[in-house]
Amino acid sequence: MASLESLTEDLLVRIYKGLASDGDRKSWRLVCRDFHRIDALTRSSLRVLRVEFLRSLLANYPRLDTLDLSVCPRIDDGAVAVLLTSRGSPWAFPRAASSSLSPPGRDPLAWTRGLRKLVLSRSTGLGHHGLEQVIRACAYLESVDVSHCCGFGDREAAALSCGARLREVKMDKCLGVTDVGLAKIAVGCGRLEKVSLKWCMEIGDLGVDLLCNKCVDLKFLDLSYLKVTNDSLRSIGSLPKLEVLALVGCSLIDDTGLQFLGGGCPLLRVIDMSRCNGISSCGLISVAKGHEDLVQLNASYSLTECSSILLRCFKDLKNLNAIKIDGARVSDSAFKALSNCTSLVEIGLGKCIGATNLGLMRLVSGCVNLRVLDLTCCHSITDAAIFAISDSCRNLTCLKLESCNMITEKSLYYLGSFCLLLEELDLTDCGGINDTGLEYLSNCLELSCLKLALCPTISDKGLGHIASKCRKICEIDLYRCNGIGDDALAALSSGCKKLRRLNLSYCSDVTDRGMEYLGQLEELWDLEMRSLFNVTGVGLMALAAGCKRLADLDMKYCENVDDSGFWALAYYARNLRQINLSHCNISNMGLCMVMSNLTRLQEAKLVHLNKVTVEGFELALRTCWVRIKKVKLLAALRFKLSSDVRETLHSRGCKIRWD
Amino acid sequence: MSSPPSASASSSPPPCPKKMITLRSSDGATFEIEETAALQSKTLENMIHENCASTLIPVPNITGEVLARVVEFCSKHAEAGVDDESLGAWDEEFVAVDHTTLFDYIRAANFLEIPTLLDLGCQTVADMIKGKTPDEIKKTFKITTACTPEEEEEVRGENQWAFE
Repeated sequence: MASLESLTEDLLVRIYKGLASDGDRKSWRLVCRDFHRIDALTRSSLRVLRVEFLRSLLANYPRLDTLDLSVCPRIDDGAVAVLLTSRGSPWAFPRAASSSLSPPGRDPLAWTRGLRKLVLSRSTGLGHHGLEQVIRACAYLESVDVSHCCGFGDREAAALSCGARLREVKMDKCLGVTDVGLAKIAVGCGRLEKVSLKWCMEIGDLGVDLLCNKCVDLKFLDLSYLKVTNDSLRSIGSLPKLEVLALVGCSLIDDTGLQFLGGGCPLLRVIDMSRCNGISSCGLISVAKGHEDLVQLNASYSLTECSSILLRCFKDLKNLNAIKIDGARVSDSAFKALSNCTSLVEIGLGKCIGATNLGLMRLVSGCVNLRVLDLTCCHSITDAAIFAISDSCRNLTCLKLESCNMITEKSLYYLGSFCLLLEELDLTDCGGINDTGLEYLSNCLELSCLKLALCPTISDKGLGHIASKCRKICEIDLYRCNGIGDDALAALSSGCKKLRRLNLSYCSDVTDRGMEYLGQLEELWDLEMRSLFNVTGVGLMALAAGCKRLADLDMKYCENVDDSGFWALAYYARNLRQINLSHCNISNMGLCMVMSNLTRLQEAKLVHLNKVTVEGFELALRTCWVRIKKVKLLAALRFKLSSDVRETLHSRGCKIRWD
Repeated sequence: MSSPPSASASSSPPPCPKKMITLRSSDGATFEIEETAALQSKTLENMIHENCASTLIPVPNITGEVLARVVEFCSKHAEAGVDDESLGAWDEEFVAVDHTTLFDYIRAANFLEIPTLLDLGCQTVADMIKGKTPDEIKKTFKITTACTPEEEEEVRGENQWAFE
């Protein structure tokens, strides 16, 4: 009896849990009824794509603890009301009839009791009423994410405060939230451990103070870009359990504030103070001296100079893993001091003035455990430095060398010989790289992300070497690589089956033949192909028909693509979420088809569509106004579009940008 | 006069006799397993701690052939001084068997509560499923029951359009 079905259900569940990839779990569901039931009973997390399926999915998956609605269009108060009624409402969502494969008699609201994490990021159509309903219904909810719901304000914050069991709240870019709203959350959700308020610029010291007083269990706090002052740091210093603090771009804090921090937060491990203009080495010294267990320190673009006292402090931080001092001036003695921190795994030295070959050689002689090294715009380094780095740091996984134009193929030879675990390499604007170098690099079989933008000296031959050996490649950037043509795409399509992100903008030698090859890349998800003049409707059709997972497409300036291509796009590319059609020769009919048929489209850039009339825009926008979230239009249209269309879009939470 | 025995000449103490447990399979065959190896199985561990292990332990669901291999697995994993890499290679060879035997191992590991063997077996099956289409899975594992075409259509639709 060699059938897998002979195993008991709990054993099958164990096997199912061993399937890590989403694709495998989907294949499992299709095998037979028993397997489908096991999937339904075990699946704990869903990222819903279409609201029509939502109700039946929630009914059929009783063990869900995480629900992600961030890419699901039409999530609004009405949708929430339907979801929370205990009787089915087939007229609202025609596909809501429960699947014939699920047992009858299930309580349709059981999901509310099991849900622990809800992601409503970018659900701009949702209002405070619907939000409150869903928070109250899901009584055991622990984590909610409403980031990028830019219209959210204090009323929505009040809705969130109904979640007494909430431990995690993400409200990045909820621009309307003020201290009043934050106070409501602080009072209502006393168990909060993780709070993220990036870009919520209306929040100030008062709100932060109240939050720190009421939520003493806070472990993670992100106040990036807020106009908070040293007073906030005094309040934050009193938090006994804080481990991670982010204050990126907080320009009103200075060294005095950092002293408060130095004396408090005994468990602080990670601090990000990049882009804070007011701080200096002095303030960082007080933080470092107060926290011997510090693991990560990010002071990118905050320091003009890294004093030697500061660097000597780092030696006492025995657990220091990552340090970023991008933009600071560093001397050779500074590198010597850093080389004593042998626990370092990640170092950021982007745009550091004074980064020389000698300094880097000193650095890597001590920091042999380095895995991530950022040397963006360190113009004076040459092959000699790369030799030292590759030889010492054999575990290197990520190396950023943007604009290091003295690097030649010799460096790639060293990397291909010594750093065989390399996964990410950024060679943007490295004019000294050539095809031979890429051949040497192809020995790094773990390579998954390769950036070669602005390298005119590489050609199809070089890319062919990479494609033939580096099978794990997921992301390639070939922006403005003039030497790249169809043959490179042929090589990629046969060798790099896992490719997900590709940038071919301005590689004008690419033609329809190249597009056909791209159509063979089933995993392709994000494609940028600006200004490819030799691609026509035939090419776009081949791409759309083949790359079923395409979600992000930028084809600005592809002026020779005609409507036959756009019709194919509208028919095939059902998973498209974002599109840039600016300066394309799409007609009224074509635009209408694209905007109406692509039911997952949420962001569209439609500037300078010369063949589309005002009526054409009106019609296209009307077909998609229930789900489109962001649209970019020519400024001149502002006064020509009917107020009806503009107001409806606005009321649905859609953001219009006028170019 | 005989010289006094030097310290180095004294022999090492005789090895303690290892405590053995006897298991009997469903078809009557008996197998001996060291107590240290038997501790890999939670079922046997409980029995040992409650002092029921002195007599023969019947293992009714498992045949002699499979039980022999399971005993081998436990003994190998209880061995001292084996590094992770060679143990991993040994494990890989252990599960390179036909499906029937593999499922028997999984059932045995489930019955005797041997977490290492259970995880190994289930992950091996999961790895075999990786990358296969539903039809290939049905064929490889000889699964006969299937959904009706309507049900299959519905599930396919959900897979493609409903969620990620």
